[in-house]
Amino acid sequence: MFVAPISTAITKRILLQMRQIQVSVASRLAAVCMPPLLLSALLCSSPVQAHAQESASSFDDLAGRAAAARDQGNIPLAVELYGKAEQLKPDWAEGWFYLGMLQYEGNQFPQAIEAFNHLLQLQPTAVPAMALRGLCEFETSAYGDSLRDLEEAVAHGAANEPRNAQIIRFHLAQLLAHAGRFQDALDQYKFFATQKVDAPDLLLGVGLAGLRVTTFPKDAPATDREVYQAAGEAGYAILADESERGDELFRQLFAHYPTAPNLHLFYGFLLFPHDPTLSIDEFRTETILVPTNETAHAMLAFTLVIAGRYTEAQPEAEHAYTVSPDMELAQLALGRTLAETGDVKRGTELLNQVLQRDPNNLEAHLGLVSIYSRSGRREDAYRERVLCLSLPK
Amino acid sequence: MSACSASPFRNNSRGRLVAARLSVSISLLFAGLMNLSLAQATKATAAPTTCATCHAGAAAHYATAPMRHAMEAQGANPQLVAHPTLTTQIGSYSYSVQTKNGQSTYTVSDGTGSMTLPIRWIFGQHSQTWVFEKDGHLYESLVSYFPRDNTLSITPGDQKVTPKNLTEAMGRELSVWESRSCFNCHATGIVPGEKMTLEKLTPGLDCARCHDGARQHMTDAAHDNFTTLPKSLRRMDAEEVSNFCGQCHRTWDTVVRNHWHGPAFVRFQPYRLGNSKCFIGNDKRISCLACHDPHQQVNHDQSYYDSKCLACHAAPKGAGASAAAIKTCSVATKNCTTCHMPKVELPGGHAQFTDHQIRIARAGDPYPN
Repeated sequence: MFVAPISTAITKRILLQMRQIQVSVASRLAAVCMPPLLLSALLCSSPVQAHAQESASSFDDLAGRAAAARDQGNIPLAVELYGKAEQLKPDWAEGWFYLGMLQYEGNQFPQAIEAFNHLLQLQPTAVPAMALRGLCEFETSAYGDSLRDLEEAVAHGAANEPRNAQIIRFHLAQLLAHAGRFQDALDQYKFFATQKVDAPDLLLGVGLAGLRVTTFPKDAPATDREVYQAAGEAGYAILADESERGDELFRQLFAHYPTAPNLHLFYGFLLFPHDPTLSIDEFRTETILVPTNETAHAMLAFTLVIAGRYTEAQPEAEHAYTVSPDMELAQLALGRTLAETGDVKRGTELLNQVLQRDPNNLEAHLGLVSIYSRSGRREDAYRERVLCLSLPK
Repeated sequence: MSACSASPFRNNSRGRLVAARLSVSISLLFAGLMNLSLAQATKATAAPTTCATCHAGAAAHYATAPMRHAMEAQGANPQLVAHPTLTTQIGSYSYSVQTKNGQSTYTVSDGTGSMTLPIRWIFGQHSQTWVFEKDGHLYESLVSYFPRDNTLSITPGDQKVTPKNLTEAMGRELSVWESRSCFNCHATGIVPGEKMTLEKLTPGLDCARCHDGARQHMTDAAHDNFTTLPKSLRRMDAEEVSNFCGQCHRTWDTVVRNHWHGPAFVRFQPYRLGNSKCFIGNDKRISCLACHDPHQQVNHDQSYYDSKCLACHAAPKGAGASAAAIKTCSVATKNCTTCHMPKVELPGGHAQFTDHQIRIARAGDPYPN
């Protein structure tokens, strides 16, 4: 059972989960940072051999006692001893890791961040430390830093270990939604849905991301929690591929909250990967309910483009572009619809505008393929097609 | 050879249209003579108005066309009747398809238990995959029938499925959207924005599936109103036709968006054709319809396709023609597809597909992704 990680219980859970990381990371870092033979060789050749031997002896003693205190669960003593050992040997990566871990365990988040900073300066690719620092930053409300660290940690495999995946992904999902990256947040939540993990805060998080609310689950106002929770349950069912249940839950939601903003948009986004054409009606309904919802207008236009319904897409794309000329989706939708409905010049300009910012944008290149192909520019069309096929996923 | 004359579909189609118009004109003429409208004439004969009322030729041909039989409802299926007992063993599960008295059943056993379900829908005219209904859910059969090898084998795409129980061994549960997507390309009657109702679907693709507005046109035509014509598909350029056919056969955009690679996707012809160097969207000589008439059976005559290739690649005639602009084949002027559109074995599909990526394919060349 997954429990909301902001609680004390989850903090303990993190520690349990991280123990495995500790062992592997500690041994790995020790191997990388302190090759014993190399260290001995350096000490033997040093002109300050006696002092070094004394320091080494003192350091070894401190490190040993710190480890013993840690094993015995005497956290305050372990923290003190690791701190002293690091004063003697600030490039001791293993020590920084344990110090950060123990401080995290003691809810000393700023100190833990400091320890992980030292470690990451020594070992910039120490992914578990990056993940732990991200979790500490979350606790200190340094959400931007936390998002950066957790996202990078996940990109480098921090969530590949099943026991760590939940804690890291749940925090990351909340941060992504908080940053307004709702689809990315839902991608993270999908992990839980496919694993059939169940927890009320999880559903709340899904609902918040789905309804495009940047509030953290813990801060969600009581008056709105019901709709967030219900939307989360419906969304979660679809993310878990329980299509019939999800479909039914959304129908109930629409009946119960007929004017709730972003509800149809949420459903449309969930349907989109299954079949974009199915999401058209949902996006359209959202634009009717909330005419100022520019994301819904842009998505409607873009989905109609994918369905090849360019004439229908054009007014929506024009609307989205007029209101949000910098929105990439609006540029893509309008560029493609214009090109397909006759205004090739302006359409090409808009698609190239997207490509200037994002040269690998597949949709812009697909638009150019169509423009070149339909206007008989065989070589250009072929070149664009080859380029599209070579673009990274 | 001109683009138009290169396409018998266009000729046929035009011919049929002329015939249909003539037929309507004659009907109207007679109706006028007899002081009757077409509607009254139709009513008088008591024959229900169908597409065939005016488009008899196209309708007659289409009755046996593959798309018309993209799906069959349960009942006597010629292939299953011809092979009344089909069996296979896959892993620890044994499968059996029995056909008798016009009904087919599908049984899966694991040695200790078994599950038998009636085959409700048959997808595919040659290779067949079946769809079952169990406890209100739809399932795609985990094994399909492949006539080339006269065998039951894993349904393409399901090779990675590891069943944990009889139900999973029986088939893969389809989501509401996936089943909608399947039926939308194999049957007629799905209404956009409405929940799919299986009882309201017509197996296979009828005229209205491609000719949007056909039903309104038919209703109006029965009242002598010919102003509400379905959108003309013949005016579409090659790119538009690819996208139209690609709704089911997959567009180039769809395949690229999904990053599908490899010979498993050779069956998505609009995508493969779009990869061809010679494909260009504004030339109808390379359109799907230049070679294929969806109202007809697939033509397997090589010479028929040679004429399509030569529509572009024939040696120039006359002093004004530019030889440099036309790529001609130095090897042959017939059996073009054997070298330029090779057959590719569909992985796990027990069938070969013509690769529509037109190219110079040499023996041993890897499949071009």
